[in-house]
Formats: sequence, structure tokens, C-alpha cells
Amino acid sequence: MAELGRAALVTTLGLVLYAALAGAWAARTRRRRLAVSAQNALLASLGTTAVASGVLLSALLRHDFRFSYVAAHSSRELPDAYTVSAFWGGQEGSLLLWLLILGGFGSAAVLLQRRAGRDLLAWVVPVLGGVGTFFAFMLVVVASPFGTQVAPLDGSGLNPSLQNPYMLAHPPLLYLGYVGLTIPFAFGMGALLSRRTDERWIVATRRWTLLAWTALGVGQLLGAHWAYVEVGWGGYYAWDPVENAALMPWLAATAFLHSVMIQEKRGMLKVWNMLLVILAFCLSIFGTFLTRSGVIQSIHSFTQSSIGPWFLAFLCVVVAFSVGLVLVRLPLLRSRTRLESLVSREATFLYNNLLLVALCLTILWGVIFPILSQAVRGEASTVGRPYYDFFLRSFGLPLLLLMGIGPLIAWRKASLRAVGRTFLWPAGAALVAGAVLVGLGAGSSRPGLIAYTFSVFVLASIALEFARGTAARRALGRETWLGAFFALVARNRRRYGGYVVHAAVVLLALGVAGSSAYGSVRDPQKLRPGESLTVGPYTLDYLGFRQQRVVNAVELRADVDVRRGDRVIGRLHPGKNRYLAEQQTSNEMAIRTDWLRGEDLDLIADQMNPDGTIFLKALVKPLVNLIWAAGIVFLLGSVIALWPDGREQRRLAARYEARGAFTEA
Amino acid sequence: MTRKRNPARLVLALSVAAVLAVFLLYTSIAGGTTPSLRPSQLPGHDGRVSLAGRVVGTASGDSHSAAGLRFRLRDVEGTASVPVLYRGSKPDLFRVGRDVVVDGRLRRGVFVAVPNTLVTKCPSKYAPSKG
Repeated sequence: MAELGRAALVTTLGLVLYAALAGAWAARTRRRRLAVSAQNALLASLGTTAVASGVLLSALLRHDFRFSYVAAHSSRELPDAYTVSAFWGGQEGSLLLWLLILGGFGSAAVLLQRRAGRDLLAWVVPVLGGVGTFFAFMLVVVASPFGTQVAPLDGSGLNPSLQNPYMLAHPPLLYLGYVGLTIPFAFGMGALLSRRTDERWIVATRRWTLLAWTALGVGQLLGAHWAYVEVGWGGYYAWDPVENAALMPWLAATAFLHSVMIQEKRGMLKVWNMLLVILAFCLSIFGTFLTRSGVIQSIHSFTQSSIGPWFLAFLCVVVAFSVGLVLVRLPLLRSRTRLESLVSREATFLYNNLLLVALCLTILWGVIFPILSQAVRGEASTVGRPYYDFFLRSFGLPLLLLMGIGPLIAWRKASLRAVGRTFLWPAGAALVAGAVLVGLGAGSSRPGLIAYTFSVFVLASIALEFARGTAARRALGRETWLGAFFALVARNRRRYGGYVVHAAVVLLALGVAGSSAYGSVRDPQKLRPGESLTVGPYTLDYLGFRQQRVVNAVELRADVDVRRGDRVIGRLHPGKNRYLAEQQTSNEMAIRTDWLRGEDLDLIADQMNPDGTIFLKALVKPLVNLIWAAGIVFLLGSVIALWPDGREQRRLAARYEARGAFTEA
Repeated sequence: MTRKRNPARLVLALSVAAVLAVFLLYTSIAGGTTPSLRPSQLPGHDGRVSLAGRVVGTASGDSHSAAGLRFRLRDVEGTASVPVLYRGSKPDLFRVGRDVVVDGRLRRGVFVAVPNTLVTKCPSKYAPSKG
């Protein structure tokens, strides 16, 4: 079996290498049949990668411990679902999954985007082949998942704290995101290589970018929710390098999704878009290098191995190749038009882009700071949470404001008077909300107050957009309000899907600002049964703890009555699980969600002593649940924007036929 | 045709300037970076550092008591080690043999930790977020 897997991978390597070399030769010499052959090789490589993946998966499910990988990442008693997750539980399997997704996305993109033009696609195939060659090479030569050994009786298993449903979905979603960013990159490079530098490559890859970006966003939110609910430290994001590694490409992709609209509408920012797509792709490779090479300390420690330098080398090749290509093709990337006014839709997109990229690069600076300081001063230094928080506020708050301004400003040139009229309502709502919030005592945190006020502004401007559009549709025909509303969204999926995503970002901002700026924390305090602790508006009466033997663990659970004033409003059971076989303990945080007040009370039993005393830590996190709600709204908005739109396709097809005829004449 | 002034350039220049200004503001106000060291690199540093290493020997005492929890940290790949005194909450995964990171200062040969800064690294068997 292992031989089959190895053979499949070697075949894959041959196929993608052929796709890269023959494809490039075919595109250069305009040999159509050779180009088709290269494309078929790319499609076939998906098949051989799938065979290799099937071999690994079946070995995992059969508990075939002759495979070193299976022995190292699973065990007999591991439930089947987690046995499947062991596929990406280790490095070799992760690389295989990467290659598999790349093959799937690449094949689908090449087959579905024929309209992008034959000459463009002819160059996309070799670029995808080139990226695939790197991963196939790694799998064949450097990190083979099909190493064999004398089978041990049982495998070494999977860590219990990671055996949970989040880990089934969180890593593959992030992969979809990382790998998905290869598609716009490949089309961008294809456009440069084929000298097709109009917006065709952008139109062809819009949904791919959106898909990758959605997966990356949802994957990160799932990770944050896992950290909050399961890890039991009361937080959801720690600015750890590994977390940042996923955030940075997402920010770059966000900037890209916005700036392409300017290129589509106005033919500007061509160079900028190329640079953004290169940045997003490179950051996804960089993230892998970061986590795998062990050059930076992280609380997530990964199998450290020899693949780090390979990734670094690949990254250097990609940067040199793509930036070089942009420089060579610079004359083709001239804008058709230029910015006419600093008060226009284009301009707000430009500001948004600058802020997003600035945020992304400051995070990057923070991440690589240890390496830089090591190189310069011979001693690694890290920047901490204050650094990231500072820049999140400095760049994030203006971004939030722009999200409300952008959609309301006209393209090309907006008159200040018109802008004033449009903003009357949202700005008024924000001012009133701000005043009310100050009255309620939200002034205790200035960034929090600003975030709340800006959020109201954005929500009001989004609501206004929906209301105006619906009213306009209703004026046209005899539709009901509801009918007009749905027709509006259905006919402008991209635009209104985008607004829904904006609403999600606002929810996220409210959740982050609320839980960080207005939360209260009580550090662990020793309590005897009968003693109490207060946190925020709550009084916590500790009654005692008990233990209970379950199948694989001893559960210790404290009884804590939660009071507000004199009224007992509930009983919580923070505790610990002691896993016997693994000799590990895990914190089981207790969460009480108050939907009316929109806050969570989190209790963590930091230590439970045999004499019946415990150390209890308590946190109040206002609005934290909006973060998870944001995830659902985000997904909804993305699906609206992603949903196939026949009308749009026909319109684009007609446009390109017309222009194609024009350029070829 | 004479080249018209391009507002995009102005915006770019201004924003680069703004970013630099924000950066300067940050470094002048907050500016704190923490050196991250291994036990072998510790001698000679008396400021606050972030120390990473493997827990070795025996861990004794109660991290919530006044006397605190005492253990030794050794270079993950090496032999140099330093005694550590820690107070505050102790992560569940803390155990002899684990890799941990903790902030603190070296005081007369003992690394006195800042309370509640001890973090254990996730076990290396699993790659929780990606490859």
C-alpha cells in the first residue's frame, strides 16, 4: 500500500512538472495542442494526488501502524472522526492535503474559467503547475507521508485537548483559504505573462478569492471560538505569531477584494492589485514557513522539521519571480484613468486599502521583530499585546469609519454638499448614540466609545442603503416591501452581500471592543466553601466542589451560586477534568450567557485543593457573543456575494465579446 | 500634454508619512519590547525578559501560596538551567518535561516570574492550524 502512495506521489510530481514546463513552452510558442496536453496533466495530477490521499486515509482508518505517519498521529482507541482529522494532524499529511486542495481548486478554476481567454489560461496552467511542483517535490523528497516501519502494537495517539469537533473543521478551512489564494495569484501571473493585463483575470477569479477569503475568515473565527470555549483562559485571540499568520493573508485579501472593484470600474490601480495578490499569496506561504521552521516562538508549537528552509527558498523564488514580472510588464499596467477627486468612491477604497495594508504590514513587522532584533542586536526581542492593540486601534477604527462612508459616496467625484446630505442621518444617529453611551458610562474607555459610535454610523449607513434601494425598486413596480427587498438583493448580490459582510465586521468590532474595553477580570482568589467573590455586577458564592468518575476521567466540579444584588440568578459549575490514561488535566470553564444584557460571565477554577478550597478566576465579557454572531452573518453575506448570478455572467460575456472583437480587429 | 498632478500620489505620500508618524508615536510612548531568551542566555540581563525552556527536575510548592511554585527551566536543546519562582495561575498542561514560556527577572540567581505569565506551549504532536 505504501508503495502505491509513493508511486502516486511520484507520478503527481511528474505530471505537475510537465504541466509547468510543457505549459510554459506551449504558451510561449503558442502551441495549442501542447497547451491542452499541459492542462490535462494538471487535471490528471488531481487524480493521482487523490489516490495518494486515499491510501493515507485508508491506512489511518485501518490503523495500519506500518505507516510511520499513522503510528505517530493516531491510535486504536481514537474515534473514527478524529482518526480522519489525523490526516492533517501532522506535517506530511498537511502537505498532502495542501496539494490535494491545490489540485482540486486549480482544476476547477481552469475548467470553469474558460471565458477568461485561451491565451491567459495557457499561462495559468504552468504557474499552477509550478506551485504544485514545489509541494509534490516536498512530499516525494523531503517529507513523505508514506514512510514505513515495523508496526508497533499501538500508535501514539492524538492529544486529548485537541480531540474536539473544532479541530475537524478549523484546520481544513484554513487550508482552503491559504490554498485558495493560489488561484488569483496564478491568474494574476498568467495575465502578466500573457500580456492580458485588462481586468479579465480579476473577473475570472473574483469568486475564487471570495471563497478563499471566506474560508480563511470563518476558519479563524472557529479557532477563536475554540480558544474561548475549550481552552479555558477566557480569551479568544492572543496575537500569537501562528494566529497572525492566518490574519495577515486575510487582511491582504480583504484589501484585494476591494481594490479590484476600482480596476473593474475605472481601470485604475493595476500595479497595486498585482502587488496585493502577490502579497496575499506570499503571506500564506510565509505563514507556513513561520509555523514549520520554528524560527519564532509561539504558544502553538508544531513539529519542527527540515521543511522550513525549503519554504523560505520557495518564498524567495516566488517573490523574485512575481515582483520581477510586475517590473518587466510595468508599461502594460498603466491606468486608463486617474483619480479625479479625493472625495469619491475610488478614493475611499484607496484609503481603505492603505489602512488594511498598513495594518497587515505592522502585524508582519511585529511577527518578524524577533528575527530582526536577533539579526541586528544579537538578541531576540518580542513585541507584546500592547503593540498589536495599539495598531489595531490606530488603523482599525478609521477603517470602521470608512466602511460607513465608502458605500455612500459617488464614483469619480462627489460634491461635498451631496455628501453632507447623504450623511445627515447616519451621522446624526451616531452622534445621538454616542451621547447616550456617554450617559450610560461608556466613556470609561475612549477607544471603546469610538468603536461603538462608529459602529452605529456604519450600521445606519448600511440600513439607509438597503432602505433606499428597496424604496427605489418599489417605486418602479408593484412589488411589496419584502418582495422589493429580496429582488434588490438578488439583483445586486455582490453589492448587498458586501453590505451584509460589512454588518458582520461591525458586529465583530462591537464584540471585540465590548469584551476588551468594558470587561472586568478578577484574578484567581482563594475561596473556602461559603465565601464569596464579586466581579462586575455579580456576586459569586462558592458552595463547595465534588468529584465524579466518568469513563476516562475524573471530573471535579465546583458549585458556585451567581447573585446579582440579593437575587440568585443561577448556579455555575466550573471545574477540571483529570484524564487518567493521558495523565493530563483540562480546565472546564463555566460560561453564563446573559442574552438580555449581552454579556458572558466566565468562571475558571484555577486550582482545586484537596481541603475543599479553590482558586476562582472570574471574567465578565460584554458583547463577546457578537463575535460568534458576526461569523454567521459573515458567512451569510459571503454566500450572497458568491451565489452564481446568470445575469451577471451574460453581461460580462457580452462585454468581453465586444471588447475581444475590438482588440483583435 | 503636460502631466497633471495625480492626487493618488499625494494620497500615497501622505499616508506613508502618516504611518511613519503613527509608528514614531508608538515607539516614543509605548515602545516596550521584551527580549526573549533561553536559560543559557540569561546571565547579564537584569530587566524584564521572556524566558522559554523545558521544565526539569521536580516542581514543588503551590503557585497560589506566598512561597510560590519552584521549578527549574533548562534550554530545550542544551544543559544550562535556572531555578524559577512563580506565583499565580498555573496552566493545566504545566508539568515536568513540558516547554513553557514565562516572563520575569533574574534576581540573585533565581528567575522571579511575573505573576500569571506562565504559558505552556501546545503539545507538538498536533498541528492545530495548518501545515
